[in-house]
Parts: sequence; C-alpha cells; structure tokens
Amino acid sequence: MRITEHPILGASEERRTVTFTHDGAAYTGFEGEPIAAALKAAGIVIHRYTKKYHSPRGVFCAIGRCTDCVMVVNGQPNVRTCVTPLAEGMTVDTQHGAGGEDRQ
Amino acid sequence: MTRYDLIVVGAGPSGLSAAAEAAANGLKVAVFDENARPGGQLFKQIHKFFGSKEHKAKLRGYDIGTELLKEAQEQGVEVYLNAVVAGLYADKEIVVRLGEKVAHFKGDTVIIATGASENMLTFEGWTLPGVMGAGAAQTMMNINRVKPGERVLMLGSGNVGLVVGFQLLQAGCELVALVDAAPRVGGYGVHAAKVARTGVPFYLSHTIVKAEGTDRVTGVTIGEVDSKWQVIPGSEKRFDVDTICIAVGLSSSTQLLKMAGCELAERAAGAGYLPVCSDVGETSISGLYAAGDVSGIEEASSAMLEGRIAGISAAGKLGFAAQEAVTARLATLTTALEALHEGMFAPKNRGKSVDKTEEGYDVSTNLLKKGYLADEEITKYPGVKSVSGIHPVIECTQNIPCNPCQDSCPKKCITVGGNIVTLPVFDEKAGCIGCGQCIAACSGQAIFLVNEDIGDGLAAVTIPSEFLPLPEKGERGAALDRAGNVIGTAEVTDVKSVKSFDHTNLVTFTVPKELGMRARFWRKGAAI
Ligand SMILES: Cc1cc2nc3c(=O)[nH]c(=O)nc-3n(C[C@H](O)[C@H](O)[C@H](O)COP(=O)(O)OP(=O)(O)OC[C@H]3O[C@@H](n4cnc5c(N)ncnc54)[C@H](O)[C@@H]3O)c2cc1C
Ligand code: SF4
Ligand code: SF4
Ligand code: FES
Repeated sequence: MRITEHPILGASEERRTVTFTHDGAAYTGFEGEPIAAALKAAGIVIHRYTKKYHSPRGVFCAIGRCTDCVMVVNGQPNVRTCVTPLAEGMTVDTQHGAGGEDRQ
Repeated sequence: MTRYDLIVVGAGPSGLSAAAEAAANGLKVAVFDENARPGGQLFKQIHKFFGSKEHKAKLRGYDIGTELLKEAQEQGVEVYLNAVVAGLYADKEIVVRLGEKVAHFKGDTVIIATGASENMLTFEGWTLPGVMGAGAAQTMMNINRVKPGERVLMLGSGNVGLVVGFQLLQAGCELVALVDAAPRVGGYGVHAAKVARTGVPFYLSHTIVKAEGTDRVTGVTIGEVDSKWQVIPGSEKRFDVDTICIAVGLSSSTQLLKMAGCELAERAAGAGYLPVCSDVGETSISGLYAAGDVSGIEEASSAMLEGRIAGISAAGKLGFAAQEAVTARLATLTTALEALHEGMFAPKNRGKSVDKTEEGYDVSTNLLKKGYLADEEITKYPGVKSVSGIHPVIECTQNIPCNPCQDSCPKKCITVGGNIVTLPVFDEKAGCIGCGQCIAACSGQAIFLVNEDIGDGLAAVTIPSEFLPLPEKGERGAALDRAGNVIGTAEVTDVKSVKSFDHTNLVTFTVPKELGMRARFWRKGAAI
C-alpha cells in the first residue's frame, strides 16, 4: 500500500523504520508518520468497534476531526491514530467501546 | 495575556496570506492552526492551479504553500501549530488548546480563516472501514504516501471528486467509477476529461445504494436515480471495491464566528449560514474579519486574495498603513479577485445550468454527462483547428478563469485575452513550432500537439503525461480516445521530461492517420 514512486511527488524520502505491535503482532512503520498510515500500509483497516452495536470503524477524515480512528495506544484509549505520530515500541490495539460520539 | 495586533485563526492559504500581508505592514501577527503542519488544504494539492500569473496559476498547490509559508516567516509572523482555537469572544479574545494547556490571547483585530469541512452522505454501510472522505484519501496518498485502497469508487463529480479521482490514479489505485447523483458533472470539464480518457466510467444521475462488507468494504452497489432522487428499481450496478470516497461538497467552518456573535445569513435557500461581511471581509463585529472558505466555499486562489484583502484592511484599521496605500492595494487585490469570479463556475452561477459559453459556443452536453468531448464536436471550439503541419489542439471549452496557455507560447499561437475566462483561441497563422510549452503549462491537461499527417499513413500526437511508469521510446501500447476506449495501437516516438515542465512529461506517439484527432491517451500493453 506504500507509494514508493510518485509521478509528481517523486520517491519518498528516507525515514527511520520503527517497530510497533498491533493486538500483539509485530509490525514496522516509519517514525513520525501517523499511526493510521503505518496500519494502512500493513493492511489493517479496523481501528475500533463501537460500544453499542460493535460495528467496526476505520479512518474516515484523516485529519483528527471524526474520532472514528481512535485506538488504545500504549494502554491509553481514545487516541486519534490519524494525527498521532508513530514511535518505536508503541503498542497499538483495537479499541472496543468507549470513544467519542458514534456515527450510527 | 499575550496581545497581538492581529490574530489569525487557520494557517491555510487565506490565513497565511492575511498574516503575511498584515505583517508586511508592520503588524505583530500570530497565526493559530490545529494541525501539526501549516498550509491547510494546500499541501495536499499536487496539481497545477488555474488562474493567471497573479493568482500563481500553473504552480502546483504545495509549491504555492511553500512560497506562502516562506513569505509569512520572512515577515515575522508567529505560527502556533497543534493549537486548537476553541473559543472566540466579541472582544477579540481567543481561547486556545495547546496540548494539555489552555491559553488566552487577545488581538486588536482578528481574522477567521478556518476553511471548511467535508459534507457526508449516509447510505447502508457508510460507517464501514473503507468509506472515507475524499479529503482523507488525499491526505493519505499525498501527505502520508500510503494508498487509501486498491480499488476505489468516487462519489461526487465536483472539482474535489475529479481532482482526487485523478490523484488516486496517479498514486497507482484503480478508479472503478465516478458517480454523481446530479445529471451533470459538477466540476471543470478539463478535470473530468483527464479522468475519462484513462477509461474511468462516469455514472451521472446515480447514487450509492449500499456499501457491502461485514468488517470492511468489499463491494458497492450504485443505482440510477429518477427526477425525485429515488433509485430506479433494476438500475443497480455492483462493483468490487475496497474503498469508497465521498466528495459531496464542503461546508464552511463558521463555529467560531457564531460563538463570537457575528451575524450569519443564508445567501440562498439551503446554502447554509455564512457570515455577513463587508467588501473587505469584515463581519458585523468591527475588526473581526472572515476570509477564505469560511466565508463561502471557493478556491485557494480566491482564498489567498481574500486573506490579503482582510490583512491590508486590518492594517488600515489599526493605522499601520496610510489610507491611500490601503485603497491602492485593495484596488489591485479586488481586481484580481473579480477576475476569478467570472465564468460558468463563478459563485453567482452556482446551481444554474449554463448552455452557451460567453462567446456563444454550445457547452458540450457530452462533457457534462459523460466527462468527455465527443469526436465530432471538438472542431467547433476556437482552440481546435484541423490544419496541416504540427499544431496545438486546445480542448478547453468552458469559461473557466485560466490563461497559462496564452503566456506559455513563444509564437503567440494561443490567445485568451483580457478576460481570463474567455476560451483559448488557436491562431494557425502564428506558426506553431511544436515546442510543447503549452502542453506543460496547461493546468487542465487539455492541450495536445497533433500532426495529422507525417507520411506513411501516420499521425503524430503529443500528450501530457503525469503517470508512472513512463513509456519508453519505441514502446508500442494502446491508443485510447477521449472516452477511454482503445481505438488502435500507438508507438511511442519521444518522451520529454524537462525540469521546467514541472513533472508534466510530454509523450509523443504515432497512430494511423485517421486516429490523429481522436487518440488522447496512451496505455501500456497491447491494444485490446
Ligand atoms: C481536492 C481539492 C482540490 C482543490 N483544487 C483547487 C485548485 O485547483 N485551485 C484552487 O484554487 N483551489 C483548490 N481547492 C480549494 C482550496 O484548497 C480551498 O479553497 C482552500 O484551501 C481554502 O483555503 P482556506 O485558507 O480558506 O482554508 P483551509 O485551507 O481549509 O485552511 C483552514 C485551516 O484552518 C485550520 N482550522 C480550522 N478550524 C480551526 C480551529 N478551530 N483552530 C485552529 N485551526 C483551525 C485548519 O486546520 C486549516 O489548516 C481544492 C480543494 C480540494 C479539497
Ligand atoms: S507547441 Fe509551442 S509554439 Fe506551438 S502552440 Fe504550443 S507553445 Fe506555441
Ligand atoms: S487550455 Fe489554457 S485556459 Fe484551458 S485549462 Fe489549459 S491553460 Fe487553462
Ligand atoms: S480518521 Fe477522523 S479522527 Fe482520525
């Protein structure tokens, strides 16, 4: 899913690779990129399940507005992964329930 | 509490322009933005902008953003990032969330340039992972450099849907369809045409019936709507997709203005409440201005001018700039802004269906209904003349504010004239030398170079190309027509990539003579 060569933006710049875990499994991503980008690159699109109907949510606005993408990061729930930078050793887990107001 | 002469909320094109303009006149200025990076929508825009030189036409959005940011910094503007402005009071005090902290700032003048947010549309399955705003897709691919999906359906044929659709193709995604419930393409014809010629089908008068999938999007069903917007039974079509992008318009982010108690009004029924502003963007509260998309959805080019207009006005109001200087500057800026407010897509024409250009040419219904011009209508327009020798074919047929083609031609073959929405006219007597400058300069990728007869029963066609991988000289591929249908085999004879063309490559191929005025895209692989 990574765009390594782009006709306008060129080759992507060298970034430091970091490791993180998602629901216990290890993955790599680039330091400082939004957590959601690293997940997307790894093919992970479900970020959380809503409280009432347990329906899945993923990235929706990508600019920190909708709260669909919140996850449990380093044990802390409700972290907006589309605007939170990835760091070495992060634990990123699917969130069940809680979160902001849900779009039904 | 820290005090500034001017506080600007929003570091998009309008906010940065306002700040730079005011700071250049000696004001102490701070800009606040909730994002980690400044620029608003600009850094996501990787296409060449319309307008004329004074509007920075022909430059790509991110380059305009870089220029603006540099200007603001050089003028000493302070930019606070990750700074959410949560409150605005009528006495021009703002409440800012900076991380965990909450801080208060006071401005003698305040400019609100908070832009807009994407509208959403609900349908069965709309909350599934894989359904996202077109802006989200744009952020992912152009900022984060990750594909939003592999197979995408775009809902919305306004400029945002068309531009993001094209950018999805550039990122290497497959665009299975472009869908709009309206019966006509909403955005510029040139934007639609560059998507259509790659083979993406347009479904006008169609809407999404449902998104399929249990844990994520795996498919989508669309259906045709009748005049009452109801889906016609039996008209459903299904596509395998993993992503659905929604581009159904934007709404101005007026929350702060509302909070401060500015007067808001609906400019047209159902158009949403917008701030009531003077000619210079001043709201009903003296010294409080609104600029850019927050005062009505337009373009970055107009947002920048509105920002500058508000910025110089604030400088005048506080006595930093002399009244004559303010008046003179305002005259220049207003003239530039008015130039953008002409043409069939002008704010005043919104919702109207325009059937004739200002010159009296028919607006192509094919272009409006299918996204491309029909072969037989193309020579009706003043930019297209079927003459011998190499010549440009300018497939720009709607009154849009744009003229880089005119400035680019060293031989003066192309004229737009004083009113920049006029259709470009090709003068066959000016003696085109086939340099290709016009192709690279055209923001709409609407200019081609054709030599309809180079001998051996062949024609040569040069097209703009912004896709990877570029073909190689001698490579044979498929020639596609404006509708994206394969019409024959095309052999590449030249590929020109020049720095000054700014990532628009010129690909020349030969096709059988009778296809010279029809072939408009080259695709790798056999002509099947
Ligand atoms: C796909 C697409 C293609 C486009 N193509 C073109 C084009 O070719 N030519 C053209 O001229 N225009 C184009 N535009 C339009 C252009 O991008 C917008 O009109 C322009 O960005 C509006 O500028 P702005 O400064 O008003 O708002 P924005 O660019 O939206 O900036 C607003 C800023 O305010 C910040 N903000 C909002 N609320 C707060 C708050 N409470 N606290 C702190 N910060 C806040 C936001 O984070 C944002 O950074 C396009 C837009 C899109 C989406
Ligand atoms: S190819 Fe060169 S000379 Fe010919 S119209 Fe274009 S810019 Fe002018
Ligand atoms: S042909 Fe000229 S006016 Fe039309 S889009 Fe291209 S540069 Fe703009
Ligand atoms: S996707 Fe909307 S907040 Fe992250």
